Amino acid sequence: MPSFPSVEWFNALKEIVNKDPEFRALGTVDSVLGVKVGNKIIEITFDAFECTNVRDAGENDLRDMDFWLEQPYDNWKDMIENIKKHGKADLSHTLNTIDLSIPEGFARAHDGYRRDAFYRFNQSIQDFFNASSKIDTQFLTEAAVA
Amino acid sequence: MADTITIPENLRAKASEKGWPEDLVRQALDAGAGAEQIIGYMDQGVTAEQARGFLAAQAGSGPEISDALKAAAATAQWPEDLIKQALAAGAAEADLLNFMNMGVTAEQAREFMAQGGAPQLDLSWMQVPTEWNTRARPTKHGLTLEAINIGKYGEIPDVWPYHTEMPRGAVPIPGVESMGYSIFEKQEVWSDNCAALYEEAIQRRWRPATDVPWASIEPLADDVERALCQICTHISEKEQMEADVLGRWEPDISYGYHEVKLYLATTIFENARAVEVFRKRALSNGGGLGMQSPGWGFRSVVDARNFTEMLSIQMVLQDSLTLAQYQYLEKYAKNPAEQYIAAHCLQDKARHVAYAISHIKYVMMHRADRREEVQRYLDKGEAMMLQDDKKDPATREAFAIYFGDGKANIGEGLQIYNQMRKRAVEQYLARLKWATIERADGLNPGLKAFIQ
Repeated sequence: MPSFPSVEWFNALKEIVNKDPEFRALGTVDSVLGVKVGNKIIEITFDAFECTNVRDAGENDLRDMDFWLEQPYDNWKDMIENIKKHGKADLSHTLNTIDLSIPEGFARAHDGYRRDAFYRFNQSIQDFFNASSKIDTQFLTEAAVA
Repeated sequence: MADTITIPENLRAKASEKGWPEDLVRQALDAGAGAEQIIGYMDQGVTAEQARGFLAAQAGSGPEISDALKAAAATAQWPEDLIKQALAAGAAEADLLNFMNMGVTAEQAREFMAQGGAPQLDLSWMQVPTEWNTRARPTKHGLTLEAINIGKYGEIPDVWPYHTEMPRGAVPIPGVESMGYSIFEKQEVWSDNCAALYEEAIQRRWRPATDVPWASIEPLADDVERALCQICTHISEKEQMEADVLGRWEPDISYGYHEVKLYLATTIFENARAVEVFRKRALSNGGGLGMQSPGWGFRSVVDARNFTEMLSIQMVLQDSLTLAQYQYLEKYAKNPAEQYIAAHCLQDKARHVAYAISHIKYVMMHRADRREEVQRYLDKGEAMMLQDDKKDPATREAFAIYFGDGKANIGEGLQIYNQMRKRAVEQYLARLKWATIERADGLNPGLKAFIQ
């Protein structure tokens, strides 16, 4: 059972969406984004119709990403459990809703242009996270990612 | 005598390339044709068979008819004189066999011949000196506009000198009338992302009629339904206005910048889709349309006298607000249909903003002297946007009631409305900053109030 957050966990989502014709039907996605949970940062690359790479990254890599998603550990856990429960994020747990619920934003970036990739590809990225409903997740402890 | 005629080397090479046997070439030279003339015939696609028929007719003996053709002619009841006439006129034996097999009668063939047969071909266009042997290859994204921008076809000039509809990379001909374009400079319209955004728009399209889960809409409280219908009216109106304005600019942009023209076409389509989907939502749950907007902001866009001015106000300033409206409409959606609509319009609108802000950056990088000019456009656009705020309580109140889930919670709804406006202004400033425009100090106080 893959653990969240880990490269293994995101690779499991990658495998699911890359085989999913509905993900492809959403259209091309060209973005490099980050997921930041505590001090753990993972970089995810989308190119054309698929997710092409998942890797561990560091603070210095954030500058080269279009944007990164950051929220407290408990909120990540809540989001992923909600997706598992409903098969996809319910309205109060979509990426956009979470983004509007955090004063500094869920999607963060070093420039105002690249951050807009969060909006341009929003439904594909949402679909990517929704794919976590198809796997069983084990959560690393908050201390493990601090 | 023809056997003793020497074939010039260039003619021999061309004959070899085109499959004309040497005896035929000698026969043609013997008949008085010049070497260059024969090469010309070859380049025009005249086959050896046609040439032989022509020479035979010239010699008065008539072309020979093969056994196969004789047999087919007998079956089709085409007389021999008709066959000879057709061959002498340049028809290929294979074509005649085809006509016979297709059931063309001798009488029909005679009528066709009487009308002059096949038209004389010019084919000089086949010698056009464009860049040839171009072989664009599909990428992971397919065969995209960027993938075909290779060689001369990918050279996007700073100034496009042609007033006609000639595609970039084609060869101009004299005497063609001007098409009335007025934009001939790259910096007036260009953004480095326009070709990619065009492909993205095409790939990420959606269909309101069938993709939106319309059946998920259930009756809403009357005040909430009225609020949403007012919002639908407002958005339909402004998306239609954007489509109209962009549609008016399209014919002004010369063909040197077809990537921009194509991208704007998708933008207009997406504006139309937004008009469609919000109108459909307004008319699908027992409500109807609401009150029109005063349109102060619209005027500043319609009255723009140059393309960058229009983009600054419409697709940077106004669309930053619309983008924030779609974000909040998704969050406060009352059902999956409304969520779907807002989420997908959000993606479309983000592309519009991405094109416009990238254009502004291009202008700043290539025409730094226009920096103050852009600031003035934004001064004007912001002032007119605030006029709308003053004169259009319907839009503000409708959003507040929808966000607050009813008139009773309008206070809470107004707070959310102000958060939405704050977010729109912050993102507007962040985008401008990326485009190297520092706007925070010059921002209209009315908009500054949202972020303080």
